[in-house]
Amino acid sequence: MSKNSVSIYGLILGSILGVSLLFSGCSDVGELNPPVYKTKLPADEIRNSAFKNEFPLQYNTYLRNDETQVMTEYNGSIQYNKHNNVDPLPEGYKNAQPYLKNLWLGYPFSYEYRAARGHTYAVEDFLNIDRINRYGEKGGLPGTCWNCKGPKMLEWVKEKGDDFWATDVNTMRDQLDVKDHTIGCANCHEPETMELRLYSVPLQDYLKSQGKDFKQLPRNEKRALVCGQCHVEYYFLDKSFGPAKKPKFPWDNGFNPDDMFTYYQNKGEVTAKGFEGNFADWTHPVSKTPMVKVQHPEYEMWVNGTHGSAGVTCADCHMAYIRTDDKKKISSHWWTSPLKDPELRACRQCHSDKTPEFLKNRVLFTQKKTFDQLLIAEEISVKAHEAIRLALEYTGEKAPNYEDLVIQAQQMVRKGQLFWDYVSAENSVGFHNPAKALDTLASSQQFSQKAVDLAGEATKFGISKDLAGDIRQIVPPILKHSRKLQQDPEHMKTHKWFKYLPVLPAADQVWDGQKKL
Amino acid sequence: MAVTLKKPKNSSPKLWIWVFGLIIGSIITVGAGVGMQISDRRPFCASCHIMNEAAVTHKISAHAELACNECHAPHNLAEKLPFKAVAGTRDMYQNLFGKIEMPLKAGENTRQVVNANCKACHHMSNTTVASMDVKGLCTDCHRNVQHMRMKPVSTRSVGDV
Repeated sequence: MSKNSVSIYGLILGSILGVSLLFSGCSDVGELNPPVYKTKLPADEIRNSAFKNEFPLQYNTYLRNDETQVMTEYNGSIQYNKHNNVDPLPEGYKNAQPYLKNLWLGYPFSYEYRAARGHTYAVEDFLNIDRINRYGEKGGLPGTCWNCKGPKMLEWVKEKGDDFWATDVNTMRDQLDVKDHTIGCANCHEPETMELRLYSVPLQDYLKSQGKDFKQLPRNEKRALVCGQCHVEYYFLDKSFGPAKKPKFPWDNGFNPDDMFTYYQNKGEVTAKGFEGNFADWTHPVSKTPMVKVQHPEYEMWVNGTHGSAGVTCADCHMAYIRTDDKKKISSHWWTSPLKDPELRACRQCHSDKTPEFLKNRVLFTQKKTFDQLLIAEEISVKAHEAIRLALEYTGEKAPNYEDLVIQAQQMVRKGQLFWDYVSAENSVGFHNPAKALDTLASSQQFSQKAVDLAGEATKFGISKDLAGDIRQIVPPILKHSRKLQQDPEHMKTHKWFKYLPVLPAADQVWDGQKKL
Repeated sequence: MAVTLKKPKNSSPKLWIWVFGLIIGSIITVGAGVGMQISDRRPFCASCHIMNEAAVTHKISAHAELACNECHAPHNLAEKLPFKAVAGTRDMYQNLFGKIEMPLKAGENTRQVVNANCKACHHMSNTTVASMDVKGLCTDCHRNVQHMRMKPVSTRSVGDV
C-alpha cells in the first residue's frame, strides 16, 4: 500500500468515525422513566442479605448505616442519653435535654431514651433497650412495637392478623435475625420488581380512609410515604376502638399538634374526671395527668414545611443520587443527616449556588433557635407538673371552683407537653419546618404557663411562693433512672418526684437480647 | 517537474485542480458547519449519560428550542472555536476516564459565558431594568433557569442512568 492510499483510507475512516459520532447524538433525550427491574427474588423475600447480589452498589450504601461515630451539632450516631448534658460522649452530649426523665416519669421512656443509631441497628438496639421490661417473662408492651423494626412484620401480620398486636413484645424476641431482619430492602421495595411499596399496616389504613391507592400515587409522593410508614406519630388503639393495640396514625383532623390534641380528646378509655374518653399513653404520677407521648412526627413536620410544601421529598435530601462506581447513578441508601457530608451535596442538588459552609450555617441557625426554645418549653412544662402537684396537695384555703381549675390546669399540662414533644421527638431540631417548630414551642410555653396560672388560681395563689425562683433548684433534673434503679429503695429517695412511683420488687434480668437467662 | 503530464483534449490540468479543490473545500466547510451545529445541540450532548438531567430539564424549559451551546459557548465564532474545543475535550476525557463529582457544577468560566449570553438575547428587556447589575449573575435571581435546580429531584432525575 502506498503512502497516499494510507492517508486516503485514514481520511475516509476518520470521516466515518466523526460522522457516526455526530449521528450517535441525533436522537433526543426521552421521557424520564425510573429504572425497571426483574429480579430472581421471590415475592415474599424479606432477608436483607438476599438483595446483596442483585444490587451490590445500593447494598454497599445501605451498609454505611452501620456507622456509629459521626456526630452533628444536635444529634449523631453515638447513642448518648438524650437527657444527659452533664457527662461527655458516649453517655451524654452537650446538646441534651435535661428534663426528659422528669417529664416522662412513670412511662418506659423515662428508663432509657438514647440517640438512635442507623436503621441496621433497629432490631439489635430494640432488644437491648430498658423501655421493654427484661426483668420478667413479659415485656409489658404490645407486639405492635415491632411494627417499625423490620420487614418481619409482613410475615407476622400475615400469620396472625389483628391478633398479633396485643401479643407481648417479648414473645417475638428470638424469632428473627438481628441483621437480616432489621429495617431494610423489603420494607420499601417489592422484591420481584423493586417498585416502591408499603408494608406498614397503619399507613395503608390511612391511605384507604382517604380513598387513595399507593400504586396510583405520583412517584414524588411515594418517595416520602415509604418513610412515612414509620417516621410519624402513632398510637395503639384502646380495645373499644378496634383491634386492641393496633397502631393508628392520629391524622383525621390534620398533621399539626393542635389537630392531634383535638383528635386524642375522644379516642380513648380514660375514666378520670375531666378526662373521660381521652386517649392516654400513661398518667404522669406527679401531676396525676393522663398524658400523650409523641413519637417522631417527621412526616407531619415536613409535610407543610418549607421543603415539604414545595414538593421536595425525604428521598431528595436523605437519599441523594450518587455515583459510587463513577458510572451508574444510584440512590444512596445511607439514611442519615445530610449534615454528615462536609460537602452537603444533598442540599446542593438544588441550592447549587451556595457553599457548603453557608448551607450548614443556615441549618444550624434554625436548629439553635429551635433547641433553645425547646429547653425553655420543657422547663415550663416541669414547672406546670410541679404546680399541679402542689395544688393537689394544698391544704390551705382553696378557690370555690378548685376542682374545676385543677382539671383545666391538668388539661393544659397535657396539651403543653404534647406540643413540645412534637418538636423534641421530631429528628430535625426544627429544620424540617422552622416556622411550625417555633410556633409549636411558643404554644407549648403558653399552655404550660396557663397550667401554672390555673393551679395558682385554684389555691388562691397559696402555692406561688413554692414556685418562685429557679426551676432547676425547685425540681432538679433527674440524671439517673432505670428499671433496675427503680428496684432500689435508696435510689428512690434521691429525687422528690420519685416518691410518686412504686419501688419495683427486686428481680434479676430474664432477657439478655435474644437469650433467655 | 520531471514527469510530463499528458494533456487532456478540452481542459487544462489547473482547472481540474481548482474544481476538485472547490468540491473538497465545500464538503469540508459544509461538513464542519453541520458538525458544529449538531454538536451544539441537546441530542448530541445528551448522548453522554452524565448530561441526562441537564437535557431532561432543558427539554421542558422555556429555552427548549435553543441549542445547548447557544448558552454554553460564546456567540462570537473566533472565541467559540477554542472554547468549544477545550470544553468538549475536557468533558469527553472526564466522562470516559475522570471522576465526576455530583452534583454537577458550572465552572467560573462557563458561568461568565452563560451570563454574557443571557444578556445578549435579553438585552432589550434589560435596558430599562436598573436591577440587572445588582447581583453578579442573572441566575443569582433567576435561579430556576439553571436547569430547574429548584424542582424536586425526582421530577428531573432518575436512578440507573
